[in-house]
Amino acid sequence: LAFEESSRMTDPGARITGVTAAQKFFSEDKERAFEAKMVDEQNKLLVFQQQLEKETDGQIKFFGLSVNETIKVCLLNGMAKRAEKIRADFKVPDKRFWYTKLHALTQMRDFEGLDAF
Amino acid sequence: ISEAEEQNALDLNLIKEFGRRELVDSLNAISGAKTLVLDPSLVGPLGLLTEVSLLKHHGVSKIFWLEASPLAAPTTAIIYLTRPTIGHIKAIANHIKQHSATSPPSKHLYYVLLVPRSSVLVKKIFEDEGVLGDVNLSTFEMGFIPLEDDLLSLERDSAFKEIWMNGDETVIYDSAQALVKLQRAYGLFPRILGKGDEAARLINLVTRLSPSSSPTAPLSSDKIDSLIVIDRKVDMITPMLTQLTYEGLIDELIGIKNSYVEVPASLLAQPTAPNSSQAGSSASGPSSTPLSSEKKKKHHLTAVNDTLFAEIRDLNFSAVPRKLQKAAHRLDEEYKNRLQSKSIAQIKEFVGRIGGIKADHQALNLHTGLSELIAPLTRTTIFDKSLEIQQNLLASYDPSGQITAIEDLIAQGAPLHLVIRLITLASLTTGSLKQKTLESLKREILQAHGYTHLPLLISLSSPSLSMILPNPLPSSYLKEMPNHQAPPKFPFTSARKSLRLFFEDLGDGGGGSGGGPVPSETVEGEPDISYVYSVWAPMSVRLVQCVAQKGAVLAPLNTPAPPGAWGDSATGGGAGGTTGGKKEKIRAHPIVGWKGFEDIVGNIPGETVDIVQLPSGASQGANGGSSGLHSLAQRDSLTTTTIVFFLGGCTFAEIAALRWMTKQSKGRRYVIATTGIISGRSLIESLGSINS
Repeated sequence: LAFEESSRMTDPGARITGVTAAQKFFSEDKERAFEAKMVDEQNKLLVFQQQLEKETDGQIKFFGLSVNETIKVCLLNGMAKRAEKIRADFKVPDKRFWYTKLHALTQMRDFEGLDAF
Repeated sequence: ISEAEEQNALDLNLIKEFGRRELVDSLNAISGAKTLVLDPSLVGPLGLLTEVSLLKHHGVSKIFWLEASPLAAPTTAIIYLTRPTIGHIKAIANHIKQHSATSPPSKHLYYVLLVPRSSVLVKKIFEDEGVLGDVNLSTFEMGFIPLEDDLLSLERDSAFKEIWMNGDETVIYDSAQALVKLQRAYGLFPRILGKGDEAARLINLVTRLSPSSSPTAPLSSDKIDSLIVIDRKVDMITPMLTQLTYEGLIDELIGIKNSYVEVPASLLAQPTAPNSSQAGSSASGPSSTPLSSEKKKKHHLTAVNDTLFAEIRDLNFSAVPRKLQKAAHRLDEEYKNRLQSKSIAQIKEFVGRIGGIKADHQALNLHTGLSELIAPLTRTTIFDKSLEIQQNLLASYDPSGQITAIEDLIAQGAPLHLVIRLITLASLTTGSLKQKTLESLKREILQAHGYTHLPLLISLSSPSLSMILPNPLPSSYLKEMPNHQAPPKFPFTSARKSLRLFFEDLGDGGGGSGGGPVPSETVEGEPDISYVYSVWAPMSVRLVQCVAQKGAVLAPLNTPAPPGAWGDSATGGGAGGTTGGKKEKIRAHPIVGWKGFEDIVGNIPGETVDIVQLPSGASQGANGGSSGLHSLAQRDSLTTTTIVFFLGGCTFAEIAALRWMTKQSKGRRYVIATTGIISGRSLIESLGSINS
């Protein structure tokens, strides 16, 4: 599977092309609609992560993280707006978003933020 | 176990001896000093078979890991001991090429011992690399490794994945060979029973590989009455649950590998104890890395030297603290006795026992420490919640509510393997999940744990595994089925009823019971095998009971069996002849196959097998018949052994259940053989690993 191959790649550019290739394979198969959609989402995430890394001048590593981890890293670094954007883009359910946020806030020891919950 | 029963028990050390001798023979075949290069995955199993000193004794001067990096061997002869995986073979070929590339080319003699056997592919790789002429290929058939005196393992951790995900049948072949080897040692299995398609394949192989056609055919074994093969696929529910026995929990939460567990070194530090040599010994004997660098130490968990462990390993975890307390009291008494002892004779006696007491003390230390490690882990919300979901699913209580609960767990960041186990369980118990629910669950998982797990999810719902099934089934799934029809659904509810899989404690209504291990009322005599999972009787073991302990399937042992259930009609022994609350051991009835349970067992997907094996000389029937009668008459006084082989691995809880059966019935012992010991966690993780 092209998908497995892409997950081993470390180079961002190559990885995105790999994922795109996998997406094509999946979309050719009618029954893999779900998988195709998921891979598409992954692609979106990777691109978004690249963008995030650029915004932070490569200071913070985003690439290859999961959606949850990305949200968490955003929150940890005071990029709450970005986190909200991911939440909207990837339709993260409230429940999961709040738990993630809770974990992030506790990790930061941001008790004011926790209080505001 | 009384002595009378002991005398006919199987001595599994024989197998260890076999393996050891074979290894030594192959080492001795090569003269002079030699360097041993080991496949890392073999070190654990080998450590159980032999010690470094033995290897040294036979001319091994240095031991290395098999790695891709260049190898500098001081001796001419280099022995590679490895499994025939492509990566390893290539690494060996590279070593050889590097050696010949240096100037002056270093001269080495290469011997490659393949475990358990060579393959055409190996030769092909060596040929392609142009080094086939330089290597001497031979094999080392490792076979079963006895982990305990009633437990044999092939230590093939990825067996399940290889068979059902990759469709690789080498494990089946290797298992068959190992079983045939058992037959060579102890005689032909008089009867072979099995459940499951792959189990059927294995049995077929065993009968074909059996040397019954040769003139030196072994006679029917008088020690082993039957072999029961259970294929992991038949019972996927059990490994998905959280094991609740002591040993099982250690495996779930800390992890046991090749019967070694990693514990903080402080738990083992008791250097003054005279018997400490065994407890402190490390598993990584032949490793070249310094041990002091790791904080954690490995401890060989075995009941052979550790009587306390033998007592508690199979108990439900809720009962363990009480047992430990008792042991502590006993030790305390012993120490007090010392103070009270007055006469010289008494003191002398105490000194004689001091070694044993010290060892007990140390064992107690270790197990208290281990329980302390585990206990907080069992009190986390996620652990509690997952237990509750498991038990509700098993009771078929509010399935859709459980799905929501699983979603909650994902949101809380529960470990991936746990979530997948729960979803698999939901899919298995309800038959299938609605396409939409499943997709949203999958989406949640991918977003929470990363998209890299997509292949795992795909393979879980592939036809060969079908651990998670959507509803309706996709048409490509049907295409891959032999007759383009949906496979028979796993009849969970009917099986649960007929095999009494779900055991509800009195007064502990099935549904909302959840929340923590249900403490069982009695510590000593657990009423049923279901105690190992608190409420669930492992189906695999129930199937074994269908063959070997029929009464237990029909009714709990501590209540009188329904009249005429299996009483005298079955055997002279009377399986159903349980007497009230008295814990009288029931005489095991002879193996009569699946009789009485054909319908129930037949309803469970997978082939059912029942074969009577006769030694070649007796194949005319007359002889075989009489020997059968003979042994039947003897059975009253003899203990026979039933070997239960799990193809694809089994859990510690299942082992505990089988040990419980050994304790319950007189005249039959169970020896567990398996391709490896698994837990739901290791199973899912092996399926999820992308490489190799």
